[in-house]
Amino acid sequence: MRLLSPLSWLISPLALLTLWALVAKAGLFPVNLLVPPLEVWHSFAELLATGELQEHLSGSLSRLALGFAGGSLAGLAFGTALALSKTLEAYCAPLFHTLRQIPSIALIPMFVLLFGVDETFKVVIVAKTAFFPVALATCEGVRAIPRSHFEVAAVYRLRWTTLVGRIALPAAVPAIVTGVRVALTRAWVVLVACELLAADSGLGQMIEMARQMLRIDVVMVGVVVTGVIGFTLDFGLRRLERRLSNWQSR
Amino acid sequence: MNAIAHPLHPSVDTGALTICGLSKTYALKGRPVKVLKDIDLNIRPGEFVSILGASGCGKSTLLRLIVGLDQDYQGQILLDQQPVRGPGLERGIVFQDHRLFPWMTLQQNIALALKNHVMPAAQKDRLVAEHIDLVGLRGFELAYPHQLSGGMAQRAAIARALVNKPKVLLLDEPLGALDALTRVRLQQELQRIWIQERCTVIMVTHDIDEALYLGDRVIVMDANPGTIREDLPIDLPHPRERDSALLQGYKQRLLGELVGH
Repeated sequence: MRLLSPLSWLISPLALLTLWALVAKAGLFPVNLLVPPLEVWHSFAELLATGELQEHLSGSLSRLALGFAGGSLAGLAFGTALALSKTLEAYCAPLFHTLRQIPSIALIPMFVLLFGVDETFKVVIVAKTAFFPVALATCEGVRAIPRSHFEVAAVYRLRWTTLVGRIALPAAVPAIVTGVRVALTRAWVVLVACELLAADSGLGQMIEMARQMLRIDVVMVGVVVTGVIGFTLDFGLRRLERRLSNWQSR
Repeated sequence: MNAIAHPLHPSVDTGALTICGLSKTYALKGRPVKVLKDIDLNIRPGEFVSILGASGCGKSTLLRLIVGLDQDYQGQILLDQQPVRGPGLERGIVFQDHRLFPWMTLQQNIALALKNHVMPAAQKDRLVAEHIDLVGLRGFELAYPHQLSGGMAQRAAIARALVNKPKVLLLDEPLGALDALTRVRLQQELQRIWIQERCTVIMVTHDIDEALYLGDRVIVMDANPGTIREDLPIDLPHPRERDSALLQGYKQRLLGELVGH
């Protein structure tokens, strides 16, 4: 169909951009509050040229990488254990399911008091945010492996290394990757929120500083970059997810 | 106990299965339920035995015990005079659902069954290819299970079970989930494959035609608890004609017994 060209996705962002430009031009809001897109673009280019944006970005991304790696690995281990051990489930499941309902944002004040406003607190919050979705998805993914798979493995007397590597892992991985994807997007959002509140670098801090100096153009750059980074991270994992589950019928 | 079983076919001398006083009890809501009671069965090497019975008569449980997936029973199961303990490659099984791993190709699925055999890779490849040929799936080596029809997937499962050259092949309602036409076609295939391989086969089914068409013997089971009601030898050489008068006669008799008209 002509309407569904590979560039169809561009239509909605362009429409939003146009609307933004039109509203800015109409003068409904003061020009320093609703900055026209072109000026935001110039600020973006300037921030790039000075290297300021890259600096903030690398600050944010390294926090994300550190916290996310720790949190999701712990989640993977805990989720597997929770799925396999009746004892662990009996002792920990209710607590786990309660804790995972607490929004990360609600923990910020307490974590700031405990860990200070430096790096630790942000990394811990990101790790916490990543931990729960990954643990939950892993637990459910491992539990959902059909018993019949294990019976077939028993009939052919497969060693446990083969059982884990060729049967249990491939069976559970699509569910786990979905959990990781959810975790990564949430961790990113929460990290930028933390940086807004307390940081000396990072995208969130850039936004907050700009707001205080009424540089709404820089705020807008920060907002758009945050969105694009989040999208890119999610897109990458979505591709991975599809590759790992291409054996499924859909 | 019966005398030492004689092989049915001169070329086969292993795969004799002896079951003595086999009983199995499940705990259902804390109360013991007897699913199998005092089963005695002597199966000769290379024999094709059909086990016929209504659902719930414990016939699938019997296969699970023989294959070794369930080791909690009373009585004895001997393969060539050796007690059976746990699963072993000399016993293969095909379940009602094909149980192929969806993330592996047909070839990989069958090769996985050979994983614990010590032999050169080239020989494994050859065995896999031979068995894909045997079940008529050449050209589908790289297909994933979801790309195969139900009948093709079940053929693949049969190839996987046979690739280890088991002495005993257990079939747990292998064609039960297929449509009527595919089922008839696969029954012919099974007969051809069995004539070629000549391993001992025990097939559980609730299809009288299927049991009679394929079995050298038809064992009829009663339920609650599962016991052997009748052991019917079908004295008709293979390959058989589906509409043989002898088979039709047995069919009427079994229908009468099982359904009671």
